[in-house]
Amino acid sequence: MWKTVLRRLLIMIPQLIILSMLVFLLAKMMPGDPFTGAINPNTDPKQIEALKRAAGLYDPWYIQYGRWVGNLFHGDLGTSYIQHVSVSSLIWDRAVNTFWLSLLTTIITYAIAIPLGITAGRHQDEWQDTAVQVFNYITFAIPGFVFYILGLWLFGFTLGWFPISGSVSASASGFWGVLGSRLYHMILPAILYALITTTGTVQYLRTGIVDNKVEDYVRTARSKGVPENVVFNKHILRNSLLPIAAFLGNTITGLLGGSMIIETVFSYPGMGKLFMDSIGQRDYTTLTALILIFGILTLVGNLLSDIIMSIIDPRIRIQ
Amino acid sequence: MGKEIIQIKDLKVYYPIRSGFWNRITDYVRAVDGVNFSINEGETYGLIGESGSGKSTTGKAIVGIEKVTGGQIMYKGVDITKASNRKKLNYNKDVQMIFQDSMSSMNPRKRIEDIIAEPIRNFENLTTDQERDRVQELLDIVGMPSDAIYKYPHEFSGGQRQRIGVARAVATNPKLIIADEPTSALDLSVQAQVLNFMKHIQQQYNIAYLFISHDLGVVKHMSENLAIMHRGRLVELGSRDEIYKHPMHIYTKRLLSAIPQVDVANREAHKAERERVEHEFLENQSKWYDADGRVFPLQEVTPNHLVALPEGGIRAAIQEEQNEKESD
Amino acid sequence: MAKKTKKQNDAVKDDQTKVSLPPSGFKVIVREIVKDKVALAAFILIVLILIFTFGGSLFLSKSSVSEINIVESYYGWGQNGHLFGTDDGGRDILNMLIMGGRNSILIGISVTVITELVGLVVGLVAGYYGGLIDSIIMRIVDFIQILPRFPIIIVLTTVLSHYNAVTLVWLIAMFGWTVTARYFRSFVLSQRERDYVLASKTSGSSDLKIMFREVLPNITSMIIIDVVLSIAGNIGVETSLSFLGYGLPPTTPSLGSLIAFANDPVNVINRPWLWLPATILLLIISLSVNYVGRALQRAGDARQREN
Repeated sequence: MWKTVLRRLLIMIPQLIILSMLVFLLAKMMPGDPFTGAINPNTDPKQIEALKRAAGLYDPWYIQYGRWVGNLFHGDLGTSYIQHVSVSSLIWDRAVNTFWLSLLTTIITYAIAIPLGITAGRHQDEWQDTAVQVFNYITFAIPGFVFYILGLWLFGFTLGWFPISGSVSASASGFWGVLGSRLYHMILPAILYALITTTGTVQYLRTGIVDNKVEDYVRTARSKGVPENVVFNKHILRNSLLPIAAFLGNTITGLLGGSMIIETVFSYPGMGKLFMDSIGQRDYTTLTALILIFGILTLVGNLLSDIIMSIIDPRIRIQ
Repeated sequence: MGKEIIQIKDLKVYYPIRSGFWNRITDYVRAVDGVNFSINEGETYGLIGESGSGKSTTGKAIVGIEKVTGGQIMYKGVDITKASNRKKLNYNKDVQMIFQDSMSSMNPRKRIEDIIAEPIRNFENLTTDQERDRVQELLDIVGMPSDAIYKYPHEFSGGQRQRIGVARAVATNPKLIIADEPTSALDLSVQAQVLNFMKHIQQQYNIAYLFISHDLGVVKHMSENLAIMHRGRLVELGSRDEIYKHPMHIYTKRLLSAIPQVDVANREAHKAERERVEHEFLENQSKWYDADGRVFPLQEVTPNHLVALPEGGIRAAIQEEQNEKESD
Repeated sequence: MAKKTKKQNDAVKDDQTKVSLPPSGFKVIVREIVKDKVALAAFILIVLILIFTFGGSLFLSKSSVSEINIVESYYGWGQNGHLFGTDDGGRDILNMLIMGGRNSILIGISVTVITELVGLVVGLVAGYYGGLIDSIIMRIVDFIQILPRFPIIIVLTTVLSHYNAVTLVWLIAMFGWTVTARYFRSFVLSQRERDYVLASKTSGSSDLKIMFREVLPNITSMIIIDVVLSIAGNIGVETSLSFLGYGLPPTTPSLGSLIAFANDPVNVINRPWLWLPATILLLIISLSVNYVGRALQRAGDARQREN
């Protein structure tokens, strides 16, 4: 198994390199440099040019790239031209928020998806199955932002059950107070986000159960006299649930990367919202860093999925 | 018998096995491991073996849809294991194939007319009318109704489809047809029908067959000469009479004893015979196969009978034969 | 065996009326839609919406729709001759709905056309030839799928000069083709070692001929299903981008930009006419197109199982 992991990591390295180059290229396409907004516009243009040259802005591209990568390894993501603070500090606060939201969403997603998938598979073609299929179809068909807007309008504005923005109430105090307030702000976006994300898992689980139900090994167990309950839980379920775990990595990175829309609708201060704010302010340093991070997160998510897959695949385990 | 039209020389088809961290090639699956034989004009050559013996792979290599790792296949003086040579000679006009599974070997969305006409369109230049006439002619030969041309494969039974497959193979007047287990997927009653059509066509058009099968009874009915394959190599080859009457390799004997015989009165005797042969096979396996479990090279026992004999050679084998005959 | 006479052959030719249907043909799929009542209803809805948006747009000009007229701003439902009111710039919501609907649908279709074509060719080539070509192509596909789609598209929309709707189509398509390529490649892989492909080779057909004449027709029903679902998905992508403000240029109406009014809490509470009609229209479009696609998929699966 370690061989698979190692090989996967090795494949990831060239992908990382090309990703960083692409992001660098993108950064170069963006207007602006460290001096935008920092220099008095009345300064002699020759002086500005000298300053730029000294800062290495006219160096050949590979030197600039090397410098940028070197900085990355030191954890230096650059300084925001607009807000004049280090990008890392900007991102860190937001990242924490996005992380907790994604975590809560993932938990809710599986808490909903697994029972739904099992019900649909177990009661194939009966009303439970049809109900789940309808639910699936609706959450799949509706574009995310429409779903969130409607959800926010209904539960936030009209019914007033949940707050409509922010991550924590300004008046919250004490550990439990703050925790409670945070959860209260997260719960509506998390539930809505989770409902949209359940589709793939429910469908996959249902198909897995339906396919496994007619497999020969199930028929053998039944003919041996094993009670139906045990047949279902011990045999069918176990084989159907395992593949779901493999998608865990992708689900998480999908959430982290797709957070822009949900955070915009709920004005939730996470990485996605930071991205939207940065693009509005044309803060290109932060944008570059964020894109790089999103890309790396996807790579890590894929790696995680592959590793989990190799662990649970009995063919590889036995080796 | 006519002259030789195709010679297979030391044919090898190996599949690489990759393992280890760097996915390097560590070993090979030796599907076909040095096979030699030749087929004469207008004759039926039987190739027998169990699943995994390499007989299908050999057939596919001869018809050109399997990549050859080593050895040569000589046709019209040219080695057709190279794709370029096959193209130059329009090889597949002369050498065609009948597939085992008639359903999967036909494009489900093509009409019968187009299926049969495909080789004609690729190799000959006929007008649409001439082409249609030829297709009708072919359908006639295999005893199918004329309106079959507008139908699709799924509208026919297995036996009918196989006959259409035969029609397709005969379309360009080939000299050799590789028949890969053509009747294995058919009911017994239909098998006879298809085989008879094949024989009739052979007589009319002087076509040679390489008849690949695991069914000894069928091969006996169809072939004049045959070869027996095991683990990628030939264990015995020769005329039908020689092999059925005087089998020498223990594997051949084992195969022959396994042919079911409808002889109720002597059931016990046959069963005892089968058990004896099986016992002999298991006991002597190490003698008849080399240290790696591979079959020995063929040696000539009589002009039309080659056997993969162990060390000790002909004399030891003939000695054993005599011992057997004495103990009967 | 006697040869057939020419008369008999001609008789067969005239017998064309007894022609049988190919499995999973286009006509069969259409019949499946008609059978499923809900799918039929969805299909009719789609046609109506197309007439509403495309037909309605024939009577409008882009400039008249996006012209700012402060005097008319913020009229509510049915006020002053505006059925759905006006926005902050005095633009009529109904007109923007018609034009925005047309734009969003058009972009969805355009992106799909490009991604299906490119994905089809790439998938066929990679799947059929295998080996090195396949490895290289799949490496590229893997890499593009890693890239964060939305962030990159958003940045590019602000960075590129002469940016317009066509640019947007290409940007979205740039990422979309990888999914279809994967999809078609997996199908070709499953067909490649099938006997009928080998039989065609034996019959002397070239690789190219086999790919297009033999394998491709078997994919047709898959293509149709994928196109329908893809259109729904791409309409979603464009409207999401426009909702964030980085899809279509601000002067071009889109359903997404209309729904974006809901980002302002004031609009949500006080001026629902700004965003509610567009939301409902998009909802109907998404649900209908997806339903038709799903129905086709179910029909396709049933056919495959029959075969």
